[in-house]
Amino acid sequence: MKTSWLKSGIASVALVAATGAAWAEKANDTLRVAFTKELENVDSFFNSSREGVVLQRAIWDGLIYRDPVTNEYKGNLATSWEWIDDTTLELKLREGVTFHNGAPFSADDVVYTVNFVSKEENGVKTQRNVNWMESAEKVDDYTVRIHLKEKFPAAIEFLSGPVSMYPAEYYAEVGPSGMGLEPVGTGPYKVVSVVPGQHFVLEKNENYHDSPKGQPEISNVDIRTIPDVNTQMAELFSGSLDLIWQVPADQAEKLATMDQFTVMNESTMRVGYLNMDAAGRSGDTPVTDLRVRRAINHAINREELVNALLKGKSRVVSTPCFPSQFGCVEEAAKSYEYDPEKAKALLAEAGYPDGFTIDFYAYRDREYAEAIMSYLNAVGIDTDFKFLQYSALREQNMKGEVPLAFLTWGSFSINDASAMVSQFFKHGSLDDARDDQVLEYLNTADSSTDPDTRIENYAKAIERITDQAFWAPMFSYNTNYVFTNDVEYTPTADEVLRFTTMSWN
Amino acid sequence: MVDTSTTDSLLREITGPTPGQMLRKRVFGHQGLLFGGIVLAILLFIAIFAPLLAPHDPYAQSLMTRMQPPVFLGGDWEHPLGTDHLGRDYLSRLIYGARVSLMIGAVAALISGVIGTAMGVAAGYFGGRVDMVVTFLINVRLAMPVVLVALAVVAILGGSLQVVIVVLGLLLWDRFAVVMRASTLQVRGREYVAAARAIGASTPRVILSEIMPNIANNLIVVVTLEMAHAILLEAALSFLGLGVQPPTPSWGLMVSEGKNMMLFEPWMVLIPGAVLFLLVLAINLMGDGLRDVTAPENRS
Repeated sequence: MKTSWLKSGIASVALVAATGAAWAEKANDTLRVAFTKELENVDSFFNSSREGVVLQRAIWDGLIYRDPVTNEYKGNLATSWEWIDDTTLELKLREGVTFHNGAPFSADDVVYTVNFVSKEENGVKTQRNVNWMESAEKVDDYTVRIHLKEKFPAAIEFLSGPVSMYPAEYYAEVGPSGMGLEPVGTGPYKVVSVVPGQHFVLEKNENYHDSPKGQPEISNVDIRTIPDVNTQMAELFSGSLDLIWQVPADQAEKLATMDQFTVMNESTMRVGYLNMDAAGRSGDTPVTDLRVRRAINHAINREELVNALLKGKSRVVSTPCFPSQFGCVEEAAKSYEYDPEKAKALLAEAGYPDGFTIDFYAYRDREYAEAIMSYLNAVGIDTDFKFLQYSALREQNMKGEVPLAFLTWGSFSINDASAMVSQFFKHGSLDDARDDQVLEYLNTADSSTDPDTRIENYAKAIERITDQAFWAPMFSYNTNYVFTNDVEYTPTADEVLRFTTMSWN
Repeated sequence: MVDTSTTDSLLREITGPTPGQMLRKRVFGHQGLLFGGIVLAILLFIAIFAPLLAPHDPYAQSLMTRMQPPVFLGGDWEHPLGTDHLGRDYLSRLIYGARVSLMIGAVAALISGVIGTAMGVAAGYFGGRVDMVVTFLINVRLAMPVVLVALAVVAILGGSLQVVIVVLGLLLWDRFAVVMRASTLQVRGREYVAAARAIGASTPRVILSEIMPNIANNLIVVVTLEMAHAILLEAALSFLGLGVQPPTPSWGLMVSEGKNMMLFEPWMVLIPGAVLFLLVLAINLMGDGLRDVTAPENRS
C-alpha cells in the first residue's frame, strides 16, 4: 500500500500535463533544459562549472575533437596536426568556417585566442587548462604553430577539450565580460540571448561546418537556471521542461517508475574527495598529523556511500584522479578500508583519544556531506559544518583557510590524470599538501612524452599522495538524465550535454 | 446540634467560592488554555525525557535503511515515523528536536523579556528623558527587519545553537518594551500607585509590588507570542541552513532536509511541519488563555 495513492496521483497529473504541453514544444522545435547552478560567465575561459562546459561545447569549437565514445581524436577547426618538435605543434586549419557574427575563421583567431588565454595576467579561471601554452604563431592564413612552455603530452587532449577558438577582432573589442553577454563562436549553436546566470537561448547554426560534432537537429534550445530540483521536476511534470540532468539518485529512481520519462544514468569523471590541509596553511590543525589523516581515511565507509547514496554507475575511488584517466594507476594507490576502530586507535595515537573539533567545509551535495560528517562524528571527530557557495569556498581554499573540506573535481572531462593530480598537487594556490616529492614526480610525468615514463611517475605521485593521505578520495559521481519520451538522446560518460546529438522522437 | 455539613454549605453560600476555586473554574472552563497547556506539557515532558523516550539514537546513521516510510504509509514499527535521508530514526530526531525548539523559544523569550520589560517599565514609569531614549531605541529596533538582521549576524558568526539563541534574544525585545511601556503608563496614575507612594514606598517597591502585578497579564501574552516567534525564526534560519547546524536535530532542519524529496515523500516535510505548527499553536492558545484567566477585569 506504500504511498500508492500519492504516486498514482502525481503520475496522473504529470501524465496529463506532460503529454499536453510537451507536444506543443516539440511542435515549436524548442528543447527546454534546466541548469541547477548559476553560471558566472558564459565565456568558457572565465567559469569553471559544468554548465559552462555544456555551453562551451555548443557555442564554440576546439581545434581538435575527441569522440566521446571511441576516444579517437578527430580534426575540428584544425584538419591535421603534427609535432614539429617536443614543444611545437603545427596545425592546418579548416577553410571556409565562419563565426556566428559572419567573420571568417583563420589563423589570426587561433593566434589571438592562444596568446590571450595563455597569459596568466589575463586571469583565465582554470590556469591548468591553458598555462601549458607559451604562444601561437601564424605560418600562413590556415597554418598555425602553438609553442609549448615545456613538453606536454596531454596537449591534444586539452586542445580537444577546454581550449576553444574565439574570434580575434570581436574578442579584442568586447573582452571576457562582453563575450559572456553576447558570445560569438563557430559552434553548432548560436546564442540568441543571455540573461547572466539565469536564462540562455540558443539557436541552430545553419552554416555549421562539417564538424565531427555532427550537425544540430533541434532548432532552439532554451536553458533556464532552476536551483531547486523539486521545481525542476514539477516543471518537467507540467511540461514546461523537456530535459533535466544532474538529478539526484533518489528522485531519479522515482521518476524511472513513470512511463512518460526516460531516465538514463551515466558515470562521470567527477571524483568526490576530502581535502585535508596537511601543510597547515590554515593553522596548526590536527590534520597536519599523518595519523589523523589516515584515521579520517579509515573512518569513511565508501562502499556504503556509493551503494546507498550515489547509486547508479558510481564507484569507490581510492586514487586522487578518475581511474579511466591516462596515468591514473589504481594499483599504485593505497586504499584505506572502512575501519572505525582503527581510526579511533590512530586518533588516540596522534594524541586525540577523545577526538577533536574541526571546521568542515562543503559546497555541494549537502546530503553526502552530512553522511561523511556522520562517519567522522562516529570516530570522535566533531565537525563545525560550513556550507558555502562554490566560488566562496574556492576563494577561501586559495587563501589557505580551509582545514577540511568535501570537494569534487570533474577534470573538465579530460581523460588524462594531469587534469586532476597536477591541477591540485603542484604547489598551486589550491594545494594544501605542498609536498616536494609529489611535485617532482608530477613535473617529470607532465613534461614527458614517453607514455611509460608518464605512467611510472604518475603512479609514484599517486602512491605518495595516498600513502601520506593528503586527500581521502571517496567516490566517483554519476549523472541522471531525465527527459520526456519526445526527446531522443544518449548521454556520454563525460557529463557533457551535447545538443547536437539530441533529436525529437 | 447543628449538622456540620450544613454549616459548611451555609458558610460557602455566605462567603462564595474561594479565589483559588474561582481561578480553577476559570482555568478548566477555558478550552483554549486547556488544550494549549496539555499539548505544551506533553511536549515539555517529551523534551525533558528525550533520552528515555527516543527509540533510537537520533544521530545513528544507517544508509542502508534510508527514507523508510512511516507506519501509516506502510512502514514497520521499528521506525514508527520512518527514517530520514541518512537512515536516522525520524521519531527520535523529532523528539530531540523538541528540546532544541523549546529551549530556543524559552531562552530567547527570557532574554528578550528581561531586556524589553526593563526598558518598557522604566520608560513608562519615569517618562521624560528615559522615555525619549527608550522610544528612540524601540524605533531603531523596529526599523531593522528581524529575519534579515538575524541572517546577517548568523552568516558572519556562523550558525550554532548558542548564536541563534543570543541573536534572537537580542532582537525580539521590541514588543516587550512597547507593551510594557504602554501598560505602565496606564497604571502609573492609578490611585493605588499614588497611595503606595503616599505611604512612602520606595520606587523599586512601587514598581515591583504595585505596577508589575497589574501589568503581568500583558507580559504573559507577549512572552508566549515571542516564544512562538523565536521558535518559528529558528526553524526558518535552520531551514535556510543558517540556524542550528547538522547533525543537531531541529525541526526546521528536518523540513529543509526533507524538502528535496517533497514531491515523492511529502511526509518528510509534513511531520516536522505539523509538530512545529502544533507547538506554536499550543503556545499561542495558552498565552491567550492565561491572559483571559489572569486579566484583572475577569478576577471579580
